Amino acid sequence: MTNALDGIRVIDLTVWFQGPVAAQHLADFGAEVIKIERPQGGDLARGVRSIKAVPVGDWNQYFLVINRNKKSMAVDLKEERGREILHKLVKESDVFLSNLSPKNLAAWDLSYEQLHDINPRLVYAMTTGYGPHGEITKPSFDMTVQALTGLMARQGEPGQPPIYLGMGSGDAIGGLMAAFGILLALHNRDATGFGQYIDASLYGAQLFLGAPSLQGYLAGDESLARQRSRTDASNPLRNTYQAGDGWLMFAMDNVDENWTKLAGTLDDGALSADARFASAEQRETNNEAVIAAIDAALAKRTVDEWMSDWEPLGLAIRPIANLQDLADDPQAWENDYFVDAYCEEVQRDVKVRGLPIGLSKTPGSVRTLGPELGQHTEEILTETLGYTWDQVVELKEQGAIL
Amino acid sequence: MSKALDGLVVLDTTTEFWASLAAAMLGDFGASVIKVEPPGSRSAPDARAWDHLFELANRNKRSLAIDVEQPDGRAAFEKLVAKADVFLTDALPSTLQERSLDYASLSQLKPGLVYARGSAYGPSGPDRDLPGDDALAAARTGIMPVLPQPGQPPVYTEAGQMYTTVMLAFGVMAALRHREKTGEGQQVDASLLGGNMYGGSLDLQAFLAMGGERFLQPVSRLDAGNPMSGVLYQASDGRWVTLTMPDTDRWWPDLAEITGLDVDDERFNSHEKRCEVNRLELLGTLEDAFGKQPSDHWRNELDSRQMSADIIEDYAYPAADSSVVRNRYVIDVKDADDGSHRMLGFPIYMSDTPAELSNRAPAIGEHSAEILRGLLGYSADEVAELEAVGAIA
Repeated sequence: MTNALDGIRVIDLTVWFQGPVAAQHLADFGAEVIKIERPQGGDLARGVRSIKAVPVGDWNQYFLVINRNKKSMAVDLKEERGREILHKLVKESDVFLSNLSPKNLAAWDLSYEQLHDINPRLVYAMTTGYGPHGEITKPSFDMTVQALTGLMARQGEPGQPPIYLGMGSGDAIGGLMAAFGILLALHNRDATGFGQYIDASLYGAQLFLGAPSLQGYLAGDESLARQRSRTDASNPLRNTYQAGDGWLMFAMDNVDENWTKLAGTLDDGALSADARFASAEQRETNNEAVIAAIDAALAKRTVDEWMSDWEPLGLAIRPIANLQDLADDPQAWENDYFVDAYCEEVQRDVKVRGLPIGLSKTPGSVRTLGPELGQHTEEILTETLGYTWDQVVELKEQGAIL
Repeated sequence: MSKALDGLVVLDTTTEFWASLAAAMLGDFGASVIKVEPPGSRSAPDARAWDHLFELANRNKRSLAIDVEQPDGRAAFEKLVAKADVFLTDALPSTLQERSLDYASLSQLKPGLVYARGSAYGPSGPDRDLPGDDALAAARTGIMPVLPQPGQPPVYTEAGQMYTTVMLAFGVMAALRHREKTGEGQQVDASLLGGNMYGGSLDLQAFLAMGGERFLQPVSRLDAGNPMSGVLYQASDGRWVTLTMPDTDRWWPDLAEITGLDVDDERFNSHEKRCEVNRLELLGTLEDAFGKQPSDHWRNELDSRQMSADIIEDYAYPAADSSVVRNRYVIDVKDADDGSHRMLGFPIYMSDTPAELSNRAPAIGEHSAEILRGLLGYSADEVAELEAVGAIA
């Protein structure tokens, strides 16, 4: 079968999440992604032992899923001969991707200028923390960058601690941005013959992640920077509500039609007649009273009971699912958002995050989970770069490869 | 200066913020994005009005107001499709079918067309034809209940849709790459469900692999898995310090020193003790320590040692950060009266073909005549006739 990115070779010199997941998107669509790792233990993410204090068990899904469909080469870039291997690989590649510090890369002769000289067609992609013109030089991670964006400070109820948007939420958007940027640069490379330097930083990507509210703040609405209670939602029909046994998400426009339908189901229709809530404007002005009234009514019955009343009315309301509900949701499986994949480490199929981007004729696929450290070092040296077996043995003896 | 997507013609029929923004991202990098709108579908332009979300999602586009239900309008639209590389929509399958804007109809007019749809719940499965909303998609992912502290209401962040935006743009580029090699077009789909799921991917994956109640409920910040990573501690001035140092062996000596702990403290002198055996004790100990000094003190200490940590800021921080301007993550835009507005800029830096703001969001039909004449070769008389019969506006 053909893949959308057949024939693209990517050098993936990244660790942890944002960089690896950017390359994972390319690998899912058929690019040959070669993960370069240090011989001493490789990517630190290989060492993840627990998530939320729960032991990862017999397979380290954190590492294996975002490094799926990739090859691994263990090369010591502190060694002259190791750097030589990488320079040879650069000649044969389309993309170089890294999230290591620019200082380290320069020390290893892997700066943009150096690699561009070796292969002018190369797309050189960085996923930095704070952007090409940033001043902060400390190591960056998803949550420490998210802290600066303002995204966390505005979530949740007033007085509560700030809320992280979810484990890996910032890396995930940064990785997507980098993958998109790489395809833009490849498109341009095919037209002009020249690669270029791109950067999709965690900071820039996460500011973009905040667009629905940050744009409003930039336009002058300072209240968007602050926590706002659900009991004070400006549109009471777009809010979270608690029924007797669980939570519901209301996502309705504040128009009379929706209010009439909803109110007809609450408290035997008593709210329908309440003059304080008669118009959209009144519901916005008296929002706290509307929310209190809905809260009081909903507590009396279960989520299922309410949903059976509302579904025939076509109201935009859903129960708020938990992860078990999602794991059982046929919509997630039938769209390949979750897939089963064979895991070599445990010799069985496991459930993994699948393919969120659908291409009808050249769909992505999960062919293998993350490689063993250095699994493909010899293959790439001999088949792609033309090293002889004697040379491979010599490189090993010198410690340039694992 | 040349741009990455020079020459690419994108027909954008989207109406939702997140889907329209995907087309704008292609426009930012030079694609010729034509916003195809039914005449009268939005109000006449008021030069003074500044709808900031609309301006963001529709910048770098031109507008063609055309009635594709009318024969003359349909004929012009079909000529346009024949010139296009990409068609973008967020309409329901039933609507697209009714209006002959489905993939089968349009790919006949332009073999090789990349037909991209932003959907609610994806192209397959029982709910593929349902309308959607970012909040409803978020509610379905299981992430909302785990975000806050225990006992607090579930949290809707509004961020899920933004993953969908970039996924849609990425999908278009991947499909274009396949077309360049083979001439073959195809359908691309990115959904609000897929985007929201992707944003929560580490929690989702952990639950799929490991299961268990702990992933279904919020975890208290004082019960975090690693006391040095992904945590929040409150400083004496009420502000919050966050640390991400998953490799605790590397950072423990520095952290112990600034918090006044003994680096050799028997309780905490190995990764295993810090993250497993005495995890809760370390969380409590650090909470006490951080509570003794204000946030400015911590920022100085953490920064001087180049530790991966920061203070939680609100939107005032990026709004005032000069590096945000230098990196063009936020830009200034002029309106028709030369008034200045701040707008989110360009999250992707390209050294040779940078993104640019060429024009602000168009008024409806602002470029109808220009597009028909320039791209489709209509004469001035033909354009006037189309206007007269109401096929374009």
